[in-house]
Amino acid sequence: MSLAEAQADPIVRPAARRRGRKAQPARSRLARRRRRAGILLSLPALALVIGLLGVPVGQAVYYSMTQWNGITATWIGPSTYTALVKDPIFWRVVQNNALLLLAVPIAIGIPLVIAALLNEHVRGWRFFRSVYFLPTAISWVVIGMFALRFFSASGVLNGLLAHLGFGASATDMLASEHSALAALAITFIWSMVGTNTIIFLTGMATLDPTLTEAARVDGLSRMGIFFRVTLPLLTRFIQFSFVITVISAFSALFSLIFVMTGGGPGFGTTTLEFFIYQAGFQQVQLGVAALYGVVLFVIMAIVGLVQLRLIKPDDGGGW
Amino acid sequence: MATQQIQLRRKITTGSLLISLVIVAAVMLYPFWYIIDNAFRSSTQYDRQSGHSLGGWRQLFANLPVGGQLLNSTVVCVAAIAIILIVSTTAGFAFAKLRYRGSGLIFLLVVSALMVPLQSILFPEFVNLSNVHLTSSYAGAVLVYAALGTPFATFLMATYYRGISDELIEAAVMDGLGYERTFLQIAIPLSLPAIATITVLQFIQIWDDLLVGLFFLPTNQRTITAGLATLSTGRTTSVPALMAGSLISAIPAIIVYLIFQRHLVKGLTLGMGK
Repeated sequence: MSLAEAQADPIVRPAARRRGRKAQPARSRLARRRRRAGILLSLPALALVIGLLGVPVGQAVYYSMTQWNGITATWIGPSTYTALVKDPIFWRVVQNNALLLLAVPIAIGIPLVIAALLNEHVRGWRFFRSVYFLPTAISWVVIGMFALRFFSASGVLNGLLAHLGFGASATDMLASEHSALAALAITFIWSMVGTNTIIFLTGMATLDPTLTEAARVDGLSRMGIFFRVTLPLLTRFIQFSFVITVISAFSALFSLIFVMTGGGPGFGTTTLEFFIYQAGFQQVQLGVAALYGVVLFVIMAIVGLVQLRLIKPDDGGGW
Repeated sequence: MATQQIQLRRKITTGSLLISLVIVAAVMLYPFWYIIDNAFRSSTQYDRQSGHSLGGWRQLFANLPVGGQLLNSTVVCVAAIAIILIVSTTAGFAFAKLRYRGSGLIFLLVVSALMVPLQSILFPEFVNLSNVHLTSSYAGAVLVYAALGTPFATFLMATYYRGISDELIEAAVMDGLGYERTFLQIAIPLSLPAIATITVLQFIQIWDDLLVGLFFLPTNQRTITAGLATLSTGRTTSVPALMAGSLISAIPAIIVYLIFQRHLVKGLTLGMGK
């Protein structure tokens, strides 16, 4: 949210119209009580968020510049950051995050097509919508549990390939670094279908049908209408799903990696979020874990700022 | 002739649309079918991929305290959601209807906590909570879930309360209800749809979560999702047992999804309308 927008936002900026009223004793007493009630009611949420999210962020920044085993911390200083940039392991891990970004356009493109299909409203489309959204309800642990069997050497994928006559190409995708990351990315794309399809379907429902009708009268083909009329009008929804998809790719894949690969083989599927867990939990280098945590936080904060620009609190009329 | 052609083309289009939808549905449903199919096998039946039995279930119950972990999941979900609802309805009401100097800034502060990934603060959080002895019971995990859910829930409630007219609230206060009772007797009943959305969204999120369950709960109080994930890394457990565990852990969330689908969609796309 930009500063100008923030100031125009009625939640952020208290309504100015109340000022300038004549100060009447009863009014001012009421105003005082109102202010007290406001402060009192907003305090628990603030305390919870500051205490359990805000303070630990500060601690993470501090501990990122120390050597820390959970009990004693030895101060090193900002040089940990310069050391990090020179560390090949760091770049190996960041590379995995960057490669995962390649999955994002696919994780947006496929749901766009699916939403367009649903938006034709053939009989029974609501049933299909429910089916597509169903995986959103289940845990990534369960999804990973299936994916592990799907991609393994004796798994479903190879069975399918053999059936189609590609038996020779049977490989254990989870056994080598790049194919393991690809398997992870495919599972991730599958998991995002429900969420992104719903976002685009919501977007398409807001479009004025007379626009596509006009395009049809003008002789545009179905494809032409989709690319030249529908897509441009969905820009805001595509941005929104982009943000959600990137946030998920960087901070929601822990369970999937934990169940499917454990970060391996080698550093094959170790992303930033998973390396934090490994550094802290397996190597008890909590300072290093905090350091990677700060890097992840900065990336998420940048993405989050984009998101704040996109979600505008409306007047609640959408209900 | 021309109309016949148009009709034929329309039929073909509808037909190919339906076929595409069915193919996508098959891809989305196949994992569910695989899990159900293999949950009802024994290890040898799984290897042969033929025959069904309760072998997997027997092994699951022998290796995982399923009942206890389902109960743990329920307790943690209910407690965390209760806290989230209390702090987000009160704060949302304050930010929308009882604005005071600086309330806008505090609102931004609370909502911007949305950007903090738990992984970033995992170890400071864990050390803090274990220092005050909260990781030896449900309390630590409940608090972490509550804190993680609060920013979005508060945003949602504030947005919702803004849709209620100021005059209604002021009139209730003038009638002598006071702010506290106006909140409880007027605002809360009016905001039940938003409360339902938060409840469903958070239930699925918390029920399905691994990270918090793994770190902030003592081993004997693990949630079903965390229990299942650790069982799967054991490598000795048979696939049918894991599939049975997957099935039983997914069922509550699926039921909630099927009943409250509308609320879930609403929460997901809120702020995106128009």
